[in-house]
Amino acid sequence: MSLLKLAWRNVLRQRRRTALLSLVVVYVTVAVLFLFGFLDGYGESLVEAYARYVEAPVVVAKAAWWEDPDPEHGLEDFPDLTHPWVQAQSPRFSQYALLRSPYRLEGGVFLGVDPEGEKRLSQVPYKVVQGRWLQGPGEVVLGYRLAERLDVRVGERLVVETGKGALGFRVVGLVRAGVGNVDFTGVYGHLEDARQLAGRKVQATHLAVGVPKGKEEVAAKALNRILPQDLLAKGVWDLMGPIRADYEGSRLFYVPLMGLFMVLAAIAVVSTTYVSVRERLREFAVAESLGLTPARLAGQVALEAALTSGVGLVAGLLLGYALLWYTSTHDVFGPLMRLSVELLPEAGLSEHLYTSLRPVYALYASALVGVSALLALLFPGRLVLHLDVSRYVKGE
Amino acid sequence: MKRMAFPLLILTALAVAQGPLEKLKLALDHLRGPAHQGVYLLQVERPGSVRTYRLKVYADGDRAHLRVLEPKSEAGQAFLSLGEDLYFYDPRLGRTLRLPPTGRGERFLGSDLTYQDLLGRDLEELFQVGEVQGVLVLTPKPTAPTPYGRVEVYLKDSLIERILYYDQRNQAVRELKLSAYHRLDGAYLPREMELRDLQRPGYRTLLRIAEVQAGPVPERCFNPLYLERGC
Repeated sequence: MSLLKLAWRNVLRQRRRTALLSLVVVYVTVAVLFLFGFLDGYGESLVEAYARYVEAPVVVAKAAWWEDPDPEHGLEDFPDLTHPWVQAQSPRFSQYALLRSPYRLEGGVFLGVDPEGEKRLSQVPYKVVQGRWLQGPGEVVLGYRLAERLDVRVGERLVVETGKGALGFRVVGLVRAGVGNVDFTGVYGHLEDARQLAGRKVQATHLAVGVPKGKEEVAAKALNRILPQDLLAKGVWDLMGPIRADYEGSRLFYVPLMGLFMVLAAIAVVSTTYVSVRERLREFAVAESLGLTPARLAGQVALEAALTSGVGLVAGLLLGYALLWYTSTHDVFGPLMRLSVELLPEAGLSEHLYTSLRPVYALYASALVGVSALLALLFPGRLVLHLDVSRYVKGE
Repeated sequence: MKRMAFPLLILTALAVAQGPLEKLKLALDHLRGPAHQGVYLLQVERPGSVRTYRLKVYADGDRAHLRVLEPKSEAGQAFLSLGEDLYFYDPRLGRTLRLPPTGRGERFLGSDLTYQDLLGRDLEELFQVGEVQGVLVLTPKPTAPTPYGRVEVYLKDSLIERILYYDQRNQAVRELKLSAYHRLDGAYLPREMELRDLQRPGYRTLLRIAEVQAGPVPERCFNPLYLERGC
């Protein structure tokens, strides 16, 4: 009988113990899968929000503007961005402004855009829920929550004031993007109006650049190699505000925590295996006297631990991936995210969060099986290796 | 008698022929009074609270210098309006700041009055003027930086009696009443201004002139360097 069959028979012989241990492994496997799926989904939702709504996949601006985002550090002319990864580009003019309605005064950032260019880069023009997107100067499109706060409606006037000038605009549309920054603080106007409000001879404050998904950081680096020295390209991860620290902090906190969970689960498996081995020392002594080497017996113990956790792993993977599939296709976290957006409207959070579903999570979770087998080899396995066969065969 | 009648007829005809814009300009000219200095009382009413400021004012019709005398906690603050330029001295900062032109739309000392109400000529600059049954009806010029949909100016003997600001839903949101015009050195000065926020009951601001003395104002009063020490 092979060692595997022997180990499997022993695992099945103690069904209740195996079931309890498997349950621990199932729990940890599901937790590992869900945690990685949630964290990756959270990261992807942030990238999507910043790349397609709040900022752009890559932004090019003067190094001075990155230090101090004042229009005086804007672009007088546009650099040549010819590169295979550059799919689209559009100038933007961002400046702090006061928004005045007959009832309220709010501070915000007025974003002057090229209406047509923006359609190639951003999802915001496609999220207009009332009225229409910008067509020319003198018009403004607002985030729907900002419009509610200011109490302005489509067709009404809104005054935008900067330190250099003021203009009256007609509200032509309201956007509902499901992204905090857009819905709560978005103010989109024509590039020409932004230039007039700034009162400076700059064409734009920055260039929004579209690159293939997932290539944002590499593309920014590639552009930095061809850009003049006073210009700097940044990828979407560098454009995120404090929310990036929140995301990275979550990973730093939860990944080691999951590692600890896995070690604890492995210890649970191994400690139970240890008790099981102690109870069966006579059985092991008989097996050794029949010709099995101590090393093969220790291997059998490790295999039993691996099989026990393996059963839990398979069940955990099935359950975990089912959960991930469901949460990646259904807006389960919508209410939670909407509450987060209300609490942190300028964090760039999206109202929807779908978990990520990647095969590599199975690999992370299966590390538990390896750790269990290794620990079983080290501890209960050593009992078998140093077994006094004659003593146990005599039944002392 | 006949000699007098002819010029009078001409003047009357001119007054009748005056367009709405001219009427508005004339009324605004009357609003700021002659060169004078005085003490103004500003009473800011809020539901459950009233705050009163005493202000020293130097004005020459185009320019104005205002200093807060009371309450003590805010005494020393000073404002200077020179056409488009607006300066503010804050004793706590010990600095004079030049406010952007858009700062004229800000509330003055937390009241319902804006710097524009006190010192500016926005009504003339931002609106197209028409007249309906003796009332000047102002509608915003395209891209003019005003949030109001319409403003009605009620005149009595070429003097502004009431200004009513409407939002874009034809709803009155703000009312400014001017009364007790005082003829001073050949010009007029309203001794009382009352501004009510029609959207928020209980929000009212009263401006009364307690003391006034017509006559030339020293030029240094309109120099930003004198905002700190006074003139």
